[in-house]
Amino acid sequence: MSNFREAQRQAHPSKTNTLLLGVVCVLILILIMQIWLLTAVLNVSLEGVETLKWPAFIASTLLFLSGVALLRYLPNPIRQARKAREAEAGRKSL
Amino acid sequence: MNTPELPPKPAYEVDFPIERVEAEHVSRREFAKFLCLVSGGMAAGTGWVAVKDRFLPPFKLTGEVRVCLTHELPVGGTHPFRLEGTKMPFILVRPSEHEWFAYEQKCTHLSCAVYYSPATDRIECPCHKGYFDVRSGKVLQGPPPRPLHRLDVVVKGVDVFVRERSQA
Ligand code: FES
Repeated sequence: MSNFREAQRQAHPSKTNTLLLGVVCVLILILIMQIWLLTAVLNVSLEGVETLKWPAFIASTLLFLSGVALLRYLPNPIRQARKAREAEAGRKSL
Repeated sequence: MNTPELPPKPAYEVDFPIERVEAEHVSRREFAKFLCLVSGGMAAGTGWVAVKDRFLPPFKLTGEVRVCLTHELPVGGTHPFRLEGTKMPFILVRPSEHEWFAYEQKCTHLSCAVYYSPATDRIECPCHKGYFDVRSGKVLQGPPPRPLHRLDVVVKGVDVFVRERSQA
């Protein structure tokens, strides 16, 4: 099996760190856009403009869904390490 | 050599094998998930703005409603009134002999009660110094983002009526 991942991990050990910070930053950006959307659409709908509220809702939902999709890429080093340990133990007990 | 025997774990440690510091620790993973939850809340809030008019239709005045008699409101005066079907307070103002205007009394910034100031001939909000034009309700100065909601005023003889604003 290729040991590419292993080599990568050794070359850049704090990769998960960077990844996690990146995900958190993108999520904060998404949230800022949603707050802006919500205040803007509230303002215009109080002014009586009705055409913007559905597009704003759709945009906000898409942003939310993209945030949820990003969660998939959250690294979980603790669980990965545990899994690796368990796999190792399983191999030994065979 | 015999190893000293460890005391058995207390039952609570078996039942709750999580350290207190661990329980109070917020990891970045959890923080990211929380951000996502708030983001879902924002999406839901935007959805609520989109559908709320269907569930809570905004107040519309039907027909004409008599508010007062002309001699009850001197020039430069203000007459507060309420309408059936809404808790919103309104004011009727009379900047000059033949000019009558009716507005919602709620400032469009943060809902303070506005008043008419005859000295400056403006409607003023005392909270953050918002000023509105008394003849159109438009914002002249200050933080309010929208004009005051206005009603049409009709004077018939000695009676003063208000009605929903005709779309001009
Ligand atoms: S509430 Fe009227 S100016 Fe802020």
